[in-house]
Amino acid sequence: MDVFYFTEMPYAEFPESEAEKYPSMRLTFPNTYFDPNTASGLMNRYLDEYQYAEETGFDGLMINEHHNTPSCMDVEVNITGGILARITNRAKILMLGNMLPTSDNPVRLAEEIALLDVISGGRIISGFVRGIGIESWANNTNPIHNRERFEECHDLVVKTWTTPGPFRWEGNHYHYRAVNPWMLPVQKPHPPVWVPGTGSPETVEWTARRRYTYAAFLTPLDVAKNLFARYREYAAADGWEPGPEKFAFMICAHVNETDEKAQESGKAFLWRMNYPLRGPREYWSPPGYTSRAGAAAVAARRPTPLHEMSYQELQDRYHLVVGSPDTVIKKLRHIRDELGIGSLLLEAQGGQLSHADTMRSIELFGKEVIPALKD
Amino acid sequence: MPNFTEETISVAGGNLQVYKGGSGDPLLVLHGAGGNAGPRRYAQALAEKFTVYLPSHPGYGKSDRPGWVESMQDLACFYTWFQEQEGLENVRAIGFSMGGWLAAEMLSMTGHAFSKVMLVGAAGIKPNDGEITDIFIINPQQIRDLVYHDPSQVPEWDEMFGTDPTPEQAQQAEGDREMAIRLTWRPYMHNPRLPAKLARVSVPTHILWGENDNLVPVECAGLFHQAIAGSQVTVIPNCGHSPQIEKPDDFVQAALAFL
Repeated sequence: MDVFYFTEMPYAEFPESEAEKYPSMRLTFPNTYFDPNTASGLMNRYLDEYQYAEETGFDGLMINEHHNTPSCMDVEVNITGGILARITNRAKILMLGNMLPTSDNPVRLAEEIALLDVISGGRIISGFVRGIGIESWANNTNPIHNRERFEECHDLVVKTWTTPGPFRWEGNHYHYRAVNPWMLPVQKPHPPVWVPGTGSPETVEWTARRRYTYAAFLTPLDVAKNLFARYREYAAADGWEPGPEKFAFMICAHVNETDEKAQESGKAFLWRMNYPLRGPREYWSPPGYTSRAGAAAVAARRPTPLHEMSYQELQDRYHLVVGSPDTVIKKLRHIRDELGIGSLLLEAQGGQLSHADTMRSIELFGKEVIPALKD
Repeated sequence: MPNFTEETISVAGGNLQVYKGGSGDPLLVLHGAGGNAGPRRYAQALAEKFTVYLPSHPGYGKSDRPGWVESMQDLACFYTWFQEQEGLENVRAIGFSMGGWLAAEMLSMTGHAFSKVMLVGAAGIKPNDGEITDIFIINPQQIRDLVYHDPSQVPEWDEMFGTDPTPEQAQQAEGDREMAIRLTWRPYMHNPRLPAKLARVSVPTHILWGENDNLVPVECAGLFHQAIAGSQVTVIPNCGHSPQIEKPDDFVQAALAFL
């Protein structure tokens, strides 16, 4: 099983209770709370931590992208992906991912990812995401077209990577006269494609039909199991059997020298489980963003929203794994064996977790936890 | 009280739900982004003088959405098709809010859409000073709080809002919101080219607004007036975005005087 290091690169340098004054900490939370000099220190720190994660033994480095939110300063995975491509030399770079529906230029996107694959020597995993509803607002892309733009953008990116140019594209949402980028990916036929999901039935089917890797994000274990089972059903219907490499699972995880110390330092993750996950339904899921089937599935997914769970509940339900190396090894083995996954995506820096605590956690993961998960 | 019936008319490859009632010359009533509230008190009063047609726009209520109806211009095309088919060209019309924008688009496309038209709290033109309230980023309760200036003067309040919606009604309302988003997401609730195209309009046009409109600023009444030569403007004091619901008697009086 491959283990990936991940941080959303949060900006937690203001009193979080300020969020109470606004409908949400996302979208309309004023950017007057942002200080670019503070951000400069944080961004460089996070990049150092990624570098260290590779050094200590993580198999991959995962990055993501959001807009209008202090919970994630990465606004363009193709920029941070480019930095990681150059400052690391072994780890896979998992971009999970580029938001397809909000992209107005899929050919440019295909070029950018190809360039990253070239610079990294074929280490790119190209995640494609629909983006949460907030991204539809921030980029002003009609949520009613979210899924059809996702699919058309995907089709065009993959065709750009795999079909010799020049060719024309006259679709519903995208139109080109001469698709013929000079830059093409190292990996053939193209970099692996991963798709995250939290329960939408259409996404599972779409991913399975294309034999892409499906990554369940912060879902309860039984929900992830159920989603993976559906994937296997679609695969069986198409006459193939997916291996563990088609399944990934993302959670928050923190290690310290002892359980007691870890329980104390791990509280920093509560920041990311709280205000950044709150906000009006219209922000998270504007009308049309989710199909009726998807809405029903998401409603059934989590009886309690993450931001209403206590520290202990988050741990009991495997959204957050915290402890000494021994404790964390036991819990992560349990997840691995329950789900049959090929990749574990660990958000190991979260919220206000300090540089020192992050570095210690990365070191313990690399030296003790990851080797124990390879057996 | 005239009886209204609910009819289904096949138009342009889909079924259109239409409330029809009264007698006399036809009067086409185009509802706003919030959906078709049916033949409310104002429509009953108008049906004393006219045969009122109150369709649910494609994608709204029980009406199908032909797959090609994606924009307000498509919707205007749909309705000119409907008019041609049903012999309802050159009739009187009233458009409320987004329905006012729809009527304006139709006026900009053909000289024989309407004989006379009322635009009430109409969307479609970008205000210079204020902004059209973004109704998609707030919830239905917040929208309602903004629509009505003084709920206590809304005679049908209990009838319209007194009980919680049934699950079917909630689904319907969600479908209506989705259709509104499809039609008006970007540019939001206006067409930058509409004012220029309205210069062709030569039919009598009455622009009516609630003075305290919190959704579409009352300055837009002046912008429509500038765009349509010879139009007249009435502003109803102490009234919000939907005069036909909030002050139905004042509204009907103004409508009958004009129509």
